[in-house]
Amino acid sequence: MPEKTIAEELRGRGISRREFLKLSGILAGAAGLMEAPIHALAKPINPVERVIQALQTKQRAPVIWLEFQDCAGCTEAISRSQAPTLVDLVLNTLTIEYHETLSAAAGFQAEEAKQAAMKKYAGAYVLVVEGSIPTGDGGVYCTVGGRTAVDLLQEAAAGAAAIIATGNCASFGGIPKANPNPTTAHSVMALVKDKPIINIPGCPAIPEVTAGVIVNYVLFGVPELDSLKRPVAFYGNTIHDRCLRRPFYEAGKFADSFDGVGARQGWCLYKLGCKGPTTYNACATIKWDAGLSFPVQSGHPCLGCSQPDFWDGGGFYQGQSAPLSRPALAAAAAAVGIGAAVGIGAAVINRSQKTHPAVEMAEAPDAKEAK
Amino acid sequence: MNWNAALEFARGPFFYAALIIFIGGMTYRFVRVLLLGWKPDKVPGKGSKLGGVLISYLKGFFIWPFIPWVKNTFTRNPLIYLAGGLFHLSLFIVLILGTAHMLVWKSLLGFGWPTLPLPIVDWMAAAGIAAMIALAINRLIHPVLKLLTGASEWLNLLFVFLPMTTGYILTHHLFFPYEMGFTIHMLTVNILLIWIPFSRIAHFMFYFFSRTIHGAQFGKRAVTP
Amino acid sequence: MKTQTAVQTFVSETGGWVASQLEACTRCGMCAEACHFYQATGNPEYAPVWKIELLRRAYEQRFTVFGRVKVALGLDHPISDADISRWSTIDYEACTMCNKCALVCPMGIDLGSLIHAVREALSAAEAVPADLMAAVNKQVTEGSPLGVTDAVFDQRMEWIADEWEVALPIDQPGAEVLVVFSSIEIMKFPGNVAAIAKILHAAGEKWTLSRKGREVVNFGFYEGSPERTVLFMKRVFDAAKELGVKRILVTECGHAYDALRWNAANMMEVPAGIEVTHIAGKLWDYIRDGKIKVKRGALDGGGTITFHDACKIQRRGGFIREPREVLGVLAPQTFRELTPNKEEAVCCGGGGGVIAIKEADPNRYAAFELKIEQLRAVGAKTVTMTCSNCRLQFTDCVAHFGLDVKVAGLSELVAGALES
Repeated sequence: MPEKTIAEELRGRGISRREFLKLSGILAGAAGLMEAPIHALAKPINPVERVIQALQTKQRAPVIWLEFQDCAGCTEAISRSQAPTLVDLVLNTLTIEYHETLSAAAGFQAEEAKQAAMKKYAGAYVLVVEGSIPTGDGGVYCTVGGRTAVDLLQEAAAGAAAIIATGNCASFGGIPKANPNPTTAHSVMALVKDKPIINIPGCPAIPEVTAGVIVNYVLFGVPELDSLKRPVAFYGNTIHDRCLRRPFYEAGKFADSFDGVGARQGWCLYKLGCKGPTTYNACATIKWDAGLSFPVQSGHPCLGCSQPDFWDGGGFYQGQSAPLSRPALAAAAAAVGIGAAVGIGAAVINRSQKTHPAVEMAEAPDAKEAK
Repeated sequence: MNWNAALEFARGPFFYAALIIFIGGMTYRFVRVLLLGWKPDKVPGKGSKLGGVLISYLKGFFIWPFIPWVKNTFTRNPLIYLAGGLFHLSLFIVLILGTAHMLVWKSLLGFGWPTLPLPIVDWMAAAGIAAMIALAINRLIHPVLKLLTGASEWLNLLFVFLPMTTGYILTHHLFFPYEMGFTIHMLTVNILLIWIPFSRIAHFMFYFFSRTIHGAQFGKRAVTP
Repeated sequence: MKTQTAVQTFVSETGGWVASQLEACTRCGMCAEACHFYQATGNPEYAPVWKIELLRRAYEQRFTVFGRVKVALGLDHPISDADISRWSTIDYEACTMCNKCALVCPMGIDLGSLIHAVREALSAAEAVPADLMAAVNKQVTEGSPLGVTDAVFDQRMEWIADEWEVALPIDQPGAEVLVVFSSIEIMKFPGNVAAIAKILHAAGEKWTLSRKGREVVNFGFYEGSPERTVLFMKRVFDAAKELGVKRILVTECGHAYDALRWNAANMMEVPAGIEVTHIAGKLWDYIRDGKIKVKRGALDGGGTITFHDACKIQRRGGFIREPREVLGVLAPQTFRELTPNKEEAVCCGGGGGVIAIKEADPNRYAAFELKIEQLRAVGAKTVTMTCSNCRLQFTDCVAHFGLDVKVAGLSELVAGALES
């Protein structure tokens, strides 16, 4: 079916040339193109021009957004985002989508719409997944319209061109997967092995990042990913690397409590359990609420919410350096007991040697020198 | 390589196992030596054994590492004395008065304490590493040490050196991404914890035997230990 | 040579005392810096930690899991005849049992007693240098390593009493103090015998010598044989018991005091109520309590006089302050300390049996060069000490090196300054 390119769509809506260029600039920034590698290109190209080129050749991408075991936080974040232009662009201009939570329809009508979309755009749509997928007890812990999440995921993934897992639950399993993982929750990448997956972890994912990744995918395809399938443009640095309180870390000025002198002075939150050093996300640069602030800036240690298993990361207020598991007193006492018992045994054997010479003693030393 | 998973392992179950082995192993070593039998000392003392022991410990902890005039003999080989002292002081400061390690103790013991500013701890760490290198070189060239040193001495040096250097590298975010550096540091720490009870590094536990014996023997004779 | 006997002795003498200290050693090598034999010759095998290497090997190979595994895998060798022979040389000819190494060890390991334990094993294996063993056997059969038999004793005492005009009571009933001389004094420094006798008379002591308990020297202690150590000490204790004395006074001998005062009770039944004292402490006691009067400054005017700390009487005996008080009275103007001194003093190089072993002469003379340096640094014209073994070493070396230094026993100096 002949589709207009995005640029044609925009022109059709009456957007001026000037507005088009401004929009391209916004998209270039949003897509994180400034940090995208340009070594692949024959000669460096202005990112904005790349965007314009893409807009003029690409079509609107169909997006199907499914939610499984989730809190809908990532959707909430993106829909309440303070950057209406961007989100508006993404949701209304670059994509056509089926979104359970946001759609006006419900029940069977919504299901029918989804099936129709999947059939119409088979092989071409982007599947956005929010929430983890439980497999325990046959997958009964999350069902929609009588079908398990596992089933729904496999069905939707089959016809997808690519999958974007938004939020920590879809990316890594999130809170449902936390110890003891009663529903046997899995991440998308644990269950789908044959499609390209982009993880946008966070709890929730930063809306500008979600939107930016979608822009990137629509215009340029799958961006450069790290070993956990997160886009390097947004997840290439740790919070610690870009943190505004870093100079205090280097100087060794730490807040000891939430209402102490250090806290009031805005010192580093390492001692209060900040997981910044091992957390890869864009919080320290893009921040939240249109760049208003992020947890550390507001005085709370980073939880590490864009990292796998952050709920089991030792506790939000336990120092980053502390071990994740430590023996309980009973285990330590058992170790002492066993050590002592073996020690006593060894001492008994040794003491018996003192009074009863060992049998080998009787042999001539020269003959037995090289044993 | 999934360094996040590796880090979780190194900080989690591997550390747990290493610590259990450390506790059990040290207990075994202690008991095995303690129960070898002690003869009572029937000789009446001239001076106080307890006094000798107290002075011996005071000198060992507070004076020996710091004050050069303590024993004239040390001026003959200031290197071992200075480097050895500096190394131990560095270990103490980094492991007890360094914030990152204090948080480990806090999680194990339930309470923490005030720590020194990072630049000071950092300087001491660097000094400790330099001291270790000096001691290693000394072990290669000093005629007595060449006679004494075998494979186990080199392994001792290596297993202590690795955590010190990887910790320093980690703190300064050199060479590796943080989670990789942290993983390597934890691996070297776990190896050290397992090695200690079965090597000469456990000397710190036997220090209390030899120092007490030393203090008592000298105190008994009314000579300053 | 019975190597396995040595190994078994190592094993049976390794209790908590030996084991905990062997475990405490970090192989840092500091002890070598304290050893005068290592300092003088540069031979790394003379490092104290190396002297106890066989004890460590026996311990590791027999008492530890790693040690047993290493032997089984061929990574470590059991102790051999060659080892016993080599260590016999090192432990008897390059160690005076001065125990300065214990002072310097950062862990506080009492190396002296550990080296003594090695000697015990070597002695059990009959791997003792011939010269020393000959002297030991002489003491067993004749009562003294220098051949002071009953007859010789009577002879010498008579001659000294005559020559110095001093009474030497022998086997006197009713005495409170049994005085036991060393055969070195009796044979080589008879002036010492006379001097001490004079001082005791002046102090009004009720004292006596004993024919049976005439030898305070203990070559069994040098050898490291518990049997013979006890045998020789028993002679003295038995005499003291028979005579019913309250105190035994050890004259100018070092290791004898170490054996009788600091080791006897742990090795044998010691008769109750008999105190072991040393002349080094008594000299000051008498002066301080006014029991004898000496001329103040009697030794000033003879050039600088210095004091050599005898390892077994000062560092190992505890009489550090007393001789200095005495010299403070006798030579307030001219007394100078050697550097280092007191418990850090440098050994003379002749103790521990070393002077009895001809083969050890090169080591002994090399070690003495450290003393020469000390004497020169302080410009000493006279050096005095409270041990006649040290005095023998000093005398021999002064002659050997052609030095212009007077060597004197402290008792003789005090006796010479007595005022009636």
